[in-house]
Amino acid sequence: MKTIRRSSSIISVAAIVAVMVAFPAWLPAQTAAVKSSDASSCSAMQWSVQVDRVNTGDLEVAYSFQVAIYENLLKELSKTKQFTQVFRDGDRKASDVPNLLVLQTTVEKYTPGSETRRAVTTVSGATKLTVRSQIVTREGKIVLERRVNGNVRLFGSNLRATHNLARNIAKAIKQSRWDVG
Amino acid sequence: MDRLFILKNRRNSYFVGHALIRVWALLFCSSLGALAQSTAPPVNASAPVSIRATHLLGLKNTKSNCNGTLSIQGDALQFQQGGKPGAEVKITSIQAVFQGAESKQVGGLPMKLGKAAAPYGGGRVVSLLAHKKYDTLTLEYVDSNGGLHGAIFQLSKGQGELVTNLLKARGVSPSSGEYQTTKQSTAEVMDENN
Repeated sequence: MKTIRRSSSIISVAAIVAVMVAFPAWLPAQTAAVKSSDASSCSAMQWSVQVDRVNTGDLEVAYSFQVAIYENLLKELSKTKQFTQVFRDGDRKASDVPNLLVLQTTVEKYTPGSETRRAVTTVSGATKLTVRSQIVTREGKIVLERRVNGNVRLFGSNLRATHNLARNIAKAIKQSRWDVG
Repeated sequence: MDRLFILKNRRNSYFVGHALIRVWALLFCSSLGALAQSTAPPVNASAPVSIRATHLLGLKNTKSNCNGTLSIQGDALQFQQGGKPGAEVKITSIQAVFQGAESKQVGGLPMKLGKAAAPYGGGRVVSLLAHKKYDTLTLEYVDSNGGLHGAIFQLSKGQGELVTNLLKARGVSPSSGEYQTTKQSTAEVMDENN
């Protein structure tokens, strides 16, 4: 009886090993996700990006916010290592780069919060930013378009919303696939 | 009758004296006002100025949220941390200066912990009182390649206007960048299209 049990357990282990060898695609989904992001980064590595200044349209957005979004975007995009070079708006060196994409950011919604109100009420006073981010080619073809939020709901200064927003935009770009074709 | 006449004369001279005092006081006050207007501190464009400031973000080789001294020397705006050679921006490269006002909670983490530990919502009352208003100074400038940079500083209340005026006096022309004052309002600003 014991020998039968032992042999059956050996057979089942062997079967599992055989299945894993035969179907490597059944590896955990996390690994697959990493592979896909690697693939997208490979395609993006050939490209450089120029960050345009933030367009606010008709909205009254504090200038400190506009500048903070712009500067944080430059920092976060450099951190992602998705692009060979990250250029500033107006940089003359960008015109010599063969594969250049332009990141355009338009503020769609802005709620100027209050740190004091957040501290006093907890539920109100949040600073909220919603922007439309577009990556376009030199010819003006939209390669990627995303609507991204950046908020400060509880702790931190109002300007922290711009940091969160820039981080979310960089994350959205990193996780997306685009076809410049 | 004579006595009555003398009394009347005395009363007249009394009123005239009072009127003179009033006119003199009026003249004195108005001259003081004029003097105060004329003695407003003139913006000396050539004198070096240094102000305690916090660099929030933007300057190269300078950490964010660090305290230091913001100074205008010669043709450059400098930010120094504790005597170290700091970041420098040529005034001629500054395209725009924006002044804003914000308020923030003071006390840092210890205050936050104290407020959280206070019973019966006492922390909220402390939050209501423990905030400080300050000025923000936002600069837009270009580097040698024409790339746009931005830098934000946090200054004590009233200092933002001083630095803005000094930069204006040193040739940052309003035509190349508008001097604007922005104040954080609590009103929600929303795009009408959405």
